Amino acid sequence: MDKLVKLGQDVVLLWSKYWPMYLGGIRNTLILALVATVIGCIIGLICGILNTIPYTKNDPLPKRFLLKLIRVVVRVYVEVFRGTPMVLQAVFIYYGLPYFSDNALKFTGLTGTWVAAIIVVSINTGAYMAESVRGGIISIDPGQTEGAKAIGMTHVQTMTSVILPQALRNIMPQIGNNFIINVKDTSVMFIIMFTEFFAAHRYIVGVNNMYFPSAAIEMIGYLTMTLTASFLLRWVERRMDGADSYELVQTDALTMTAGTYTHPGKAEDVLERNLEEERGK
Amino acid sequence: MSEAILEIRHLSKAFGAHVVLRDIDFTVRPGDVTSIIGASGSGKSTLLRCVNLLETPTSGEILFHGRDVTGRGMNAASYRSKVGMVFQSFNLFNNMTVLENCMVGQTKVLKKSKEEARQNAMKYLEKVGMAPYINAKPRQISGGQKQRVAIARALAMEPEVLLFDEPTSALDPEMVGEVLAVMRDLANEGMTMLVVTHEMAFARDVSNHVVYMADGVICEEGEPKELFAHPKQARTREFLSRFTGQVSGD
Repeated sequence: MDKLVKLGQDVVLLWSKYWPMYLGGIRNTLILALVATVIGCIIGLICGILNTIPYTKNDPLPKRFLLKLIRVVVRVYVEVFRGTPMVLQAVFIYYGLPYFSDNALKFTGLTGTWVAAIIVVSINTGAYMAESVRGGIISIDPGQTEGAKAIGMTHVQTMTSVILPQALRNIMPQIGNNFIINVKDTSVMFIIMFTEFFAAHRYIVGVNNMYFPSAAIEMIGYLTMTLTASFLLRWVERRMDGADSYELVQTDALTMTAGTYTHPGKAEDVLERNLEEERGK
Repeated sequence: MSEAILEIRHLSKAFGAHVVLRDIDFTVRPGDVTSIIGASGSGKSTLLRCVNLLETPTSGEILFHGRDVTGRGMNAASYRSKVGMVFQSFNLFNNMTVLENCMVGQTKVLKKSKEEARQNAMKYLEKVGMAPYINAKPRQISGGQKQRVAIARALAMEPEVLLFDEPTSALDPEMVGEVLAVMRDLANEGMTMLVVTHEMAFARDVSNHVVYMADGVICEEGEPKELFAHPKQARTREFLSRFTGQVSGD
């Protein structure tokens, strides 16, 4: 018990002294995770779409070759970035650029670290999302594609209007997963001097050696971020699903005379009665 | 005789070594209501899917107003926008409301304005009796209602021909009637239709041409009254005898 009280005192002490640093870290972590997840999703979407462009034997050879090539490139990208640690990718890109350009191009200063961090996390997220999007697209009933084709939609129109909105809904939990993973895994970006939440901890304990109390603050901080994210994502998912009920448009003369309801009540009552009738039919 | 809308010439389709359609020939003229009947697995649906280029024919030609649409240079999408299709499994867009389902093709493919598309969609939704349900999502309505919306969606594109791929086969028996009633109305209004169906009464009473398919070939075709009353081929007779209870309604 004493220890817990002591821990509480230390946490308060640390927080009161270094809260701008912790909060700054949280802010940077959230911005990086959010931006990188969004960019990663866009990369994933593009890869997923490119990967699922259909081609038949009748298509001209250049088109088939190009599509095959795209699939190979995407495959290589996914395997390389999914198969190596992000911390290493960060180092690889951060130091690789000046190495290859003879120091002509490098990630300098604060902007440099931000750019490098966003690139690394985005590319990493994109590699995971590419597979999620592909899974999301192939999980949609082929009938949806056929329905869209049958009214003359092109592949792009079918994708943007019909398939992707449904695939996106299905992969929302995956996007959420990726965001939460990013919130936590951006902590490895300290390796390229990016000052996120965990970097704040590293700096603070370097000054005063209060490892455990600072780690406790970090634990609480990360958990708060991820729990909030989970909660918001659930809310977004519910929004995407839309209402469970719908309103009947009562201006139609046919339904008025068809005896679907006897006296106009609240919209829900009418709806319920109609649904019951449908079921009973 | 008026000019043909669709001419199917020597159409064949094979999935690998499995030949599903062999040398199919037939013609659809404006106002024709052609029913394609036959046992399951006889290739009826594949034929219809080939006509709409959802399957690529192995050989043969599909002439739309005299132009072959199976060639490489053809734009399948623009051809399909003139040939509507109604599926057995409805294939309504699950992410859209009933109204949006009927508008999206008009705005995206035909480039109509939102307002124009809306009015047009409402016109056809009223025709199929689904106007009160414009705000519903497909998952919220019954099978028969879905199929009526699917018909409205196809009609809203104002196609020259409407293809029906077993439109009532996935429906509960009590919902078949409402869909057939809509199709009957369309036929009476002169809509050109090509219907793959197991509803023999519809084939006999509504269509003006019946095609009986067996094992990937057209076994017999002709006037419905004639074909149903006096089938020439033994196979046709045998097939139709299974439906005598259903057809002898008169």
